[in-house]
Amino acid sequence: MQAGPVIATRGLSKDYGSGRGLVELDLEVGQGEVFGLLGPNGAGKSTMLRLLLDLIKPTAGSARVLGLDSISDSLEVRGRVGFLPGDLALYPKLTGGGVLEYFTQLRGGVDRRVRDALVERFDAVLDRPIRQLSAGNRQKLGLVQAFMHEPELLILDEPIAGLDPLVQRSFHSLLSEVRAQGRTVLLSSHTLSEVERVTDRLAILRNGRLVVVDSVENLRRVAVQRLEIEFAAPVDPAEFRALPGVVDAAAVDATVTVSFEGSADPVVKVAASHYVRAVRPQDGDLEDIFLRYYRTDTT
Amino acid sequence: MSRPVTQLTLRLRLPSTMSAAVGLIAVMAAVGALFPAVGHSIGKLHVPKSVGNLLGGGDYGTVTGWFRSEIAIIYAPLVIGALAITGASAATAGEEEDRILALVLAYPIRRSRLIIAKAAAIAAVVLIIALAVWIGLILGVALAGGGITIWHITALAVQLAFFGLAIGALAITLAAATGRRSLATGVAAGVAVLGWLINSFAPLVSVLSWLKYVSLFYYYTGHDPLTRGIDLPSLVVLGLVTFLLMAIAIRSIERRDLRA
Repeated sequence: MQAGPVIATRGLSKDYGSGRGLVELDLEVGQGEVFGLLGPNGAGKSTMLRLLLDLIKPTAGSARVLGLDSISDSLEVRGRVGFLPGDLALYPKLTGGGVLEYFTQLRGGVDRRVRDALVERFDAVLDRPIRQLSAGNRQKLGLVQAFMHEPELLILDEPIAGLDPLVQRSFHSLLSEVRAQGRTVLLSSHTLSEVERVTDRLAILRNGRLVVVDSVENLRRVAVQRLEIEFAAPVDPAEFRALPGVVDAAAVDATVTVSFEGSADPVVKVAASHYVRAVRPQDGDLEDIFLRYYRTDTT
Repeated sequence: MSRPVTQLTLRLRLPSTMSAAVGLIAVMAAVGALFPAVGHSIGKLHVPKSVGNLLGGGDYGTVTGWFRSEIAIIYAPLVIGALAITGASAATAGEEEDRILALVLAYPIRRSRLIIAKAAAIAAVVLIIALAVWIGLILGVALAGGGITIWHITALAVQLAFFGLAIGALAITLAAATGRRSLATGVAAGVAVLGWLINSFAPLVSVLSWLKYVSLFYYYTGHDPLTRGIDLPSLVVLGLVTFLLMAIAIRSIERRDLRA
């Protein structure tokens, strides 16, 4: 059982010299948490994950994983962590079974029953060469190898990339089981819908910097919301733009899409002064949340 | 060393290695079978000294000279060098460029152990080729009517194996230091070809003759193993070069970032 945080970074920085990387990241992830790292490509998510596994060296700062130093104790850290890299690549000439057997031997101490149960759970293809497998089928193998030794910490970079909805559901239920067992998951994504379903807390990164760490609920509360309102006849979107909290309003034919912060009351009241055929709330996506934090950041 | 890494690396290199080995044996048998028909006439050819040096003396009139020129100087080192260099580059920098190493090194294996395990697989490739040269020469010499003892054939195969190990270690070092497959392949191949040219031409210019000592090729064949047997000092030099290069390779990959 891990007494302190499972992951703790202090001023963790990586300078690639091209403006991208990671800047003085202070972050803690507690035991039993499913923690999401959110940000667009190039935000520093993969850089952070690679630093934790000593695949790259920090320019400054330090990281402790499972109470161990990420560099000097790297071997032990890697023995206790399961990792799924983003943009997973495997040996193209080996079969799925061959790849899993190789990683089983390389890891050592893997309970083959656990591995085989994961293969069955994800319906992983074992008898065909990797080069013939779809991205989704390769990703299944990636997930099996990450989970097969029942690690204390899972570091997953874009884990559901390429997975079909059924397998995504299997993956989400597996994450719930892992959390219930008190194990910890750090996963990265550029899709809010992926992380909001499974994470307890999430961090948003932008240009290598930590923008915010909070629960999904709190972030949703401050996120820009969108309503798509279909009227019986075209309505001037300027009516909405003048309302408090409205960030944007645009019309296409008789449909107006309004983006706003805070309460929906003024928007709904203005809409109600016209004949409304339908109201469709749009899921807040990453850009909406970023919009909120970009604005906070720049003012 | 990690046995799974060595086994997999060797398994992935085995098809090309075995094809090359079978091809080598077949070519050497054909070269041997050709000698009785052409040896007498081709042996009378007068080859300029510079060209003769490039071809291991250009003495085509004897079985030893024939195999030295046809196999020992060009074909055997070319095949062993090509397989050692491409194998070493693909197994290290190639896997890094293909992003496979990012997953492998997230497992509990030290980078030093990984490199040593890869090097062991490349060493096995080199030994298979050296063995094929040994078998091919025995067969070829027999078909040529004899003229080289097993001991001298063994000497050539041993010198060749050490040469292959050193060239493979050079490619691994370049790959470990840079993570770039094309650079490792290109530079190691360039060094091998340059070494062959230096070893051939340096002795022709007295003030430059010392240059031959910087050529790995010189330590492989400068002593003429087909007539003089194994040259222990040359093997020591090639062994030390291999050891030193591997130490540099390990140090290089331990200290740098894995490429994204």
